[in-house]
Amino acid sequence: MHDGSGLIAVQNLTKQFGPVTAVQNLSFTVSPGSVTGFLGPNGAGKTTTLRMLLGLVKPTGGTATINGRPFHQLGQPGRVVGAVLEAQGFHPARSARNHLRVYAAAIGVPDAQADQVMGLVGLGSAADRKVGGFSLGMKQRLALATALLGDPQVLVLDEPANGLDPEGIAWLRTFLQSYARMGRTVLISSHLLAEVEQTVDQVVIISRGQTMFYGPLDQLRQSQQRRVLVQPSDINALANALRTAGVQVIEQLPDGRLAVSGVDSRQVADIALQAGVSVYGIQEETVDLERLFFQLTSGQYAGYAPAQQNPYQQQGGWA
Amino acid sequence: MGNLVGAELRKTTTTGLWWGLLIPTAVLALGWGLATGLLGQFFVDFASSGDVDEVSDFLGVTPDQWKVSLFGMARAINISTIFPMVFGAMAISSEISRRTITTTFLTAPSRMHALLAKMLVYVLWGAIYGLAIMAFVSIGVVITSDAGQLPDAGGWAMLTLVCVLSSILMTMLGVGVGALIPNVAGAVVLLLLYFLVIENVLHGVLAYLEVPAVIGFLPNGSINGLTGAVAVDLFLSSAGVVPTEIEDVLRAIAGAAGAQDWWLSGIVFLAWAGVVFAGGWAVTQSKDIT
Repeated sequence: MHDGSGLIAVQNLTKQFGPVTAVQNLSFTVSPGSVTGFLGPNGAGKTTTLRMLLGLVKPTGGTATINGRPFHQLGQPGRVVGAVLEAQGFHPARSARNHLRVYAAAIGVPDAQADQVMGLVGLGSAADRKVGGFSLGMKQRLALATALLGDPQVLVLDEPANGLDPEGIAWLRTFLQSYARMGRTVLISSHLLAEVEQTVDQVVIISRGQTMFYGPLDQLRQSQQRRVLVQPSDINALANALRTAGVQVIEQLPDGRLAVSGVDSRQVADIALQAGVSVYGIQEETVDLERLFFQLTSGQYAGYAPAQQNPYQQQGGWA
Repeated sequence: MGNLVGAELRKTTTTGLWWGLLIPTAVLALGWGLATGLLGQFFVDFASSGDVDEVSDFLGVTPDQWKVSLFGMARAINISTIFPMVFGAMAISSEISRRTITTTFLTAPSRMHALLAKMLVYVLWGAIYGLAIMAFVSIGVVITSDAGQLPDAGGWAMLTLVCVLSSILMTMLGVGVGALIPNVAGAVVLLLLYFLVIENVLHGVLAYLEVPAVIGFLPNGSINGLTGAVAVDLFLSSAGVVPTEIEDVLRAIAGAAGAQDWWLSGIVFLAWAGVVFAGGWAVTQSKDIT
């Protein structure tokens, strides 16, 4: 049987669909107690990876385990892992309550659990309505309720925010964080970092089926670079003064400004004053997480920008 | 396993499909039952009309004692069990089409467990359909037949047994085909085409080639044999010594030309259902649910 650790381990996972490599040599682990974001652009292999983890797709190579075991060795999988894979998977003529009771029976939990999870996701008033009449957001909630039926230690969600209104997203965020605080494992995929940025503690970023970054979100934040863009009266004089002051990374931009890294705008202004150089304009620039995410995952299916210049490179390209 | 059987049973009772298909099944069975009595009466009247006395001599009893209803009942059962077969065919194919199979597999210890639980539940449904078919065929036959043409108590029991068996087996075959062809329309159309057209053409060809014994080993031939052979046996048990040629004609009337004994026919069909289910299981086991 499984070891009850709540650990998800993906090792050298590979999947070929005919000539297409959906996932290539992917490795990462997800620990309990935190929400981990599984990020990548559409088509990066996220869904395929999660489905391999859940035993729905057979890997071409490598392993994916939950609690140290492949899915089909979990015994009672519904009590170990709950999954929200898509807001489909419902018989349109079945009521929400009956849908949950079917799977409550399969997992072996009492019927009362069906009503409890419906209340938990806010579907209590729609319990006896047929799922065919549900909105996408309601189906997402029902999918989550289904995942929670067995009170699982591990929760895997594929793009759960799809179809949820802002209120629903805020609710989901709080819910997942408190679920993780209880010492459980939460893995949530998204193609938008901004969507999960406030929810996740850890991130796994993949692109073209490969891992690009894997670690705490704070670590990713710290790797963000800042620079100061300054327009001085005398470029050479300011550059020399900055070098004298120990600033090494100085770059001249095509528009005649200097880009200075490793200092803040105040220091640059002080050095300019001491050097007797006038400053006509100064601004601090930060690369936000979204752009960092884009840089990590760029290339895949990236079309050309409609303008002549790629908007992400007009600041002089800084990778 | 008990959990999964409970879940599968709930799946079938929480949508309207079971009664949606049971209504036409009952109507068809009742219609055949009624028609059987009327046709039997017509035939007996005709046979009693002096010209065909020779035949009645063969059979050793007067035509009004012929249990002709047996043949119609066997045929009624054969045609009505098409519906439980269709019901079975939708067991797995509709779950794959509707993508509910994902959650089914996520909540089962293994795919094999899920499929076996489903099969068990559909065996139960096959039996329920079988009992309904028998009930409605009987009502129809009793309304329109003279008492002399009806089977005795043992005959009723035997017919009920093979009707339920036949319905269970047809449902099982349907489940297997639905797993093999994970497309509701595809599975249903193929089954209907095969049972209503393709194999009947094959039967004609085999009869023409003078190898009618092969028919008894085909799916439709063997399932018809299960009920047809019992009907013929029951009919003959109330008649005298019958020449082989007449017996063959009687088998053909019962829709069981070239059929083996009823129990052997049942085993042959069970083997077909088993092979198809094994194929469906192999396909489902290795399938990527994307």
